[in-house]
Amino acid sequence: MRSSLRASVLAVALACAALSGCDSTITSSEALPPLEAASIDADAGSWRMILLSGPTQFTVAAPAAETSAAYAAELAAIKTAQSNLTAAQRGSIDYWAGGGVLRWNQIVRELVARFNLPPAPRPDGTYPVPDPENPFADPRFPFANPPYAARAYSYVAVAQYEALKTAWYWKYQYNRRSPARIDNGITALMPVSDLPAYPSEDAVLSGVTVEMLKVLFPAAVAEITQRAAEQRSAALWSGKATASDIAAGLALGKAVGTALIARAGADGMKNAVGIPAQWQALADSAVAHGEIPWISQESPPRPPMLPNFGQLQAWLMTPADVVTERPPAPPSTSSDQMKVEVAEVRLTVEHLTREQLAIAFKWNDGAGTYTPPGHWNDIAGAYIRDARMSEVRAARAFALLNMAMHDAAVGCWGVKFLYFNPRPVQLDPAIKTVIGLPNFPAYPSGHSTFSAAAATVLSYLFPQAAADFAAMKEEASISRLYGGIHYKSDIERGKQHGARIGGYAVRFAQQDGAH
Amino acid sequence: MQSLASFRSFLLLALSAGSLRAQTIEDGSLMPRRALGTGFMYAHESWSQYWEGSLKRDNGNIGTLTTQSVTWVVGYGVTDRFSVMAMLPYVWTNASEGPLHGMRGLQDLTLAAKYQLLATPLTDRGTLRALVVAAAGIPASNYTPDFLPLSIGLASRRFSGRFTLNFQARQGWFLNSSAAYTWRAKVTLDRPAYFTNGQLYLTNEVAMPDVVDYTVTAGYQHGRLCIPISLSQQRTLGGGDIRRQDMPFVSNRMDWAKLDGLMMYTLPAPRELGIRLGTSRIVSGRNVGQATTLTGGLLYTFHL
Repeated sequence: MRSSLRASVLAVALACAALSGCDSTITSSEALPPLEAASIDADAGSWRMILLSGPTQFTVAAPAAETSAAYAAELAAIKTAQSNLTAAQRGSIDYWAGGGVLRWNQIVRELVARFNLPPAPRPDGTYPVPDPENPFADPRFPFANPPYAARAYSYVAVAQYEALKTAWYWKYQYNRRSPARIDNGITALMPVSDLPAYPSEDAVLSGVTVEMLKVLFPAAVAEITQRAAEQRSAALWSGKATASDIAAGLALGKAVGTALIARAGADGMKNAVGIPAQWQALADSAVAHGEIPWISQESPPRPPMLPNFGQLQAWLMTPADVVTERPPAPPSTSSDQMKVEVAEVRLTVEHLTREQLAIAFKWNDGAGTYTPPGHWNDIAGAYIRDARMSEVRAARAFALLNMAMHDAAVGCWGVKFLYFNPRPVQLDPAIKTVIGLPNFPAYPSGHSTFSAAAATVLSYLFPQAAADFAAMKEEASISRLYGGIHYKSDIERGKQHGARIGGYAVRFAQQDGAH
Repeated sequence: MQSLASFRSFLLLALSAGSLRAQTIEDGSLMPRRALGTGFMYAHESWSQYWEGSLKRDNGNIGTLTTQSVTWVVGYGVTDRFSVMAMLPYVWTNASEGPLHGMRGLQDLTLAAKYQLLATPLTDRGTLRALVVAAAGIPASNYTPDFLPLSIGLASRRFSGRFTLNFQARQGWFLNSSAAYTWRAKVTLDRPAYFTNGQLYLTNEVAMPDVVDYTVTAGYQHGRLCIPISLSQQRTLGGGDIRRQDMPFVSNRMDWAKLDGLMMYTLPAPRELGIRLGTSRIVSGRNVGQATTLTGGLLYTFHL
């Protein structure tokens, strides 16, 4: 009896020791409170366009009058819907009330993480290439690696921004109020402002985003379409927009999407993978310059990641700008400086502290994740949320950030494949890495370039947090030395390069009329 | 893939004096009152193939993954019906191919308490015993579980409840069956987001699915020698598969079935010293390596 009691006391003590203060539930997503914009940005229809000629490139037809029978029927339909809302419908309303731009940014990050896996090798040691014409096959299309992801984030953000500026323009041409403002029988289940409802900004976002994502992530089309339909339904159920507000918004969003898709089809992405003869020419060029060329360290050796991405069209830089801003050549692979830098990588990894390992992991953003550009979107999202930006201003912030990071990818990849510089592991096989070794040349560091470009843009948008962004940029950059995959000069030159590229987005923002 | 690192501790033992039977968390044996058995176990586990979800494959960037450990074990008989145990492994990992760095460090401290509910003669053939065990595991160092398959463990606090039935025949044969449910606490990563099981999680916390395991052992004991053979299974009650060409993740659904053979021998002199040699092989699995394990240990019993 005595030992039985002792056993139970000990069992309880062990259970408490193991589980105390440490339950098993987690919160899986960022909290987005209902968006009540600090300003409705009534002048956004006049803000500078990026791709479109202006807000009248796409016309929105005049709506039926608020006094018309057709419109009265639409209002009645909302009241009917509101009287029968299910828990799932209320859940949709709460979800989308957090802001369409922020929600879609989360969704795109999830798509990138889902599709960011390299193809598995074939039994003969070669690798298949994901095929946009056959996106559901193995390997699925796309392999959403960092350059692909940077481009994808930028197209979605720019498309949304162009579409919303156009929508704002037409909203103030027609000034149709939102249903909850017109009819006392309609309850505003999302925050409703003085922003005119026609065309619906939620429907514009759903339409333009689906069009872009169908091209960027075609294998996810069913899920994307369903989410977009839910966004439109939530706008209607919440009393924010009527059926005709939504129909006009959807049509406008899709129309703007076509303009962006045309650009994406001709921006050079389809040639980014290249062909074996081009890959060999890159190695031959390095040898001709007396340098050791990069060699894939994977087994079996994998072709380098998107060697021609550096030739893609940038958003805010001309091809001449891209070349002008490039950093100088890296230290020669036979130089004393390179020997010093290789030794520094080895010494760092072999004496890594737990804090340094945590930094390497924090910023790794490797295969299977939302990538470094996704990480900076994650960071930016919290500031955009806290600033309670209107949908159009949030779209501007993401567009500026992601144009800079796309241009950083173009700039960085151009330099990587110009010099075709080997990774530390190749020059000293005794070096072991604590994060996955990227399968492309070292110089300069992509993380450093992305992070400096992002920190430059975010510091302009949120100057009060500039010191935080600078600290994050430094940590993200040095994490690659801790990981054992970059030399110090890759990091330093990458940061400088990224900051110059980010400057283009800042200069655009200073003159875009959005103050 | 690090399937065994987290549950290896359940298979370790302290040898009891006067009996050849090892005392493990899962078996039907207890330490005699005021006997303290302690020693060290060495384990060498390696695999070159693993299951990516249900797809069995090799990986040229891993080659052969080897996990070695030295574990300190101790068991003490509080009474003849109640024993306590503790185990603490030091683990180090290595991949034979590719650039990934091995990891090393103290893994998880396991504490367990074992209580015999009943021991009753069954006809004149032998004795039937029923036992319950409570065990808890706590990471003993700040290692990362986010570098599988090279992480040294899963870094989750856990608590398990176990029930064991044991039949010891007079002629030396014995049968043992044991089942446990393990609750696992969430783990914290060094990164702010991760993707698993079809979803992006915007948090550094990972919910760990609970685990059940069960083991059936048949063995024979003669003189100073005892040879048990076990078939054991682990089922993880949730978690995602490793995606195609992805790395494993801490909360993956790690399942396996394993065959285990042991040989335990007590020296003629000194009679307090026991030797244990063992081997095991994963026969089927999901999101784990097909590991072959060799173990060896020396254990000494003090009578206090």
